[in-house]
Amino acid sequence: MSVDAVAVPGSSGPAAPQVEPLDLDHLDLDQLDLSDRDFWGRPPIERHAVFDLLRRERPFAFYEDPEVPMIEPGPGYYVVTRFADLEAISSQPAIFCSGKGAVSILDMPADLSEFYGSMISMDDPRHAKIRRLVSKTFTPRMLERVVDSVRAIVDDVLAAARATAEAGDGTIDVVRDIAAPIPLRVICDMMGIPEADRTMVLTQSNIILSGGDPELIENQDDPLTAVLEAGIAMGALMERLAAERVDSPRDDLTTALVTTEVDGERLTHQEIASFFILLLVAGNETTRTAISQGVLALSQYPEQRAAWAADPGLDRTAVEEIVRWASPITWMRRTATQDGELHGHHYSAGDKFLLFYAAANRDPEVFENPHVFDLARDPNPHVGFGAKGPHFCLGAHLARREIAVTFRALFDQMPDLEVAGEADRLRSSFVNGIKRLPARLTGVR
Amino acid sequence: MTRVHVDLERCLGSGSCEMLAPDLFEVGDEGVVRVLRPLGGDDDLALAQEAVSACPTRALSLAD
Repeated sequence: MSVDAVAVPGSSGPAAPQVEPLDLDHLDLDQLDLSDRDFWGRPPIERHAVFDLLRRERPFAFYEDPEVPMIEPGPGYYVVTRFADLEAISSQPAIFCSGKGAVSILDMPADLSEFYGSMISMDDPRHAKIRRLVSKTFTPRMLERVVDSVRAIVDDVLAAARATAEAGDGTIDVVRDIAAPIPLRVICDMMGIPEADRTMVLTQSNIILSGGDPELIENQDDPLTAVLEAGIAMGALMERLAAERVDSPRDDLTTALVTTEVDGERLTHQEIASFFILLLVAGNETTRTAISQGVLALSQYPEQRAAWAADPGLDRTAVEEIVRWASPITWMRRTATQDGELHGHHYSAGDKFLLFYAAANRDPEVFENPHVFDLARDPNPHVGFGAKGPHFCLGAHLARREIAVTFRALFDQMPDLEVAGEADRLRSSFVNGIKRLPARLTGVR
Repeated sequence: MTRVHVDLERCLGSGSCEMLAPDLFEVGDEGVVRVLRPLGGDDDLALAQEAVSACPTRALSLAD
């Protein structure tokens, strides 16, 4: 999850949604601004052309920090696009730490740390101790036990989506009606969030990971306040549930957070708040993005869709390819703790690196025909859940199950689903999100 | 005989090994993995090697 609403939006104010196409044959890498959110509204083909160029010609490209109201800009950052560089940085957490911030380009203002200073922006040993509190809940074996409830949720959501289409003109929004409610219900069940609070959770998650998208952050002069207020609202929910769980523990993740001890001590208030928000936001936004990007990709490659629909044996590789293709989280940050050299690049303590998973996942050194969507791709050592290292996605096994169950159910119960319009992309560098994806159920009318 | 060694300082219970070889590995309540039984034959060894290279925190190794 990210407070990237803080860090990434350009200072240009609301921009027109339509931007001139990039001249891909004459790109000037010096003029490129990866902090400009308009860049992230561009079609994926343009972004990937830029990533390809950076990977080939400037593997440690340096860019100035974005200007964000009320935050001091830092020294700038390096863009990591080659798989080998990314994996080397990710797997040496003592040299390239997360503790200076993993989800924002700029160092986080102190008042946001309360809600967003989670283990994702922590280093071992504290990170390890906190993460192990919940590791067990997310193992393949434990998730086997919830797979039936995931199926029930998916069936329920698809039935409701069909009812929406039938009650209206036969259309639905894949994001609103399918991709958003499935992970929302799954993670809220695991956390024990009451029904009545779930809409709020979804709304605030969207603001937290908006990347400053003007549709979600109304006051463009003060994105920090919107993100802070979202944290406060989620924190208030945590306070209420935490008090209930201390009195009457349940078999849910919230109980684990408030009752478990590390080294004989409870987690601090700040650790509980930020962990609670991390689980909710990360559990929602990433899987939603994978599902909506997956539906879009299958509509663009109907022969792949037909092959997968006909063969459940493809589930394992297909899920991995969707995650590679979508790369729901575009980057995470690491900061050098010492001077050194990596693959010919000299760095100094304090240098910031943005690990662009979306770029590494199309590195031709690792992936044959990287721009081909191939649901049978095997091996597929993608870094869509993060690369090697202690911060590898906690929810990877859960996400895999949610994606597999969702697409199988879509093939079985919604074979008449047809994408019927342009995807409205989130203008965020951090999440490769889709806000709306219009579709039609051709069986309805 | 070859056995799997778990570095408990490094293991975070990501469950990558458990996904590959649920008969050999299980993440326990402490959030770290335990090896469920000694390696049997070549198939076990191959799975264990795969688990060693899949571990995101390099917590697994093989020792004679």
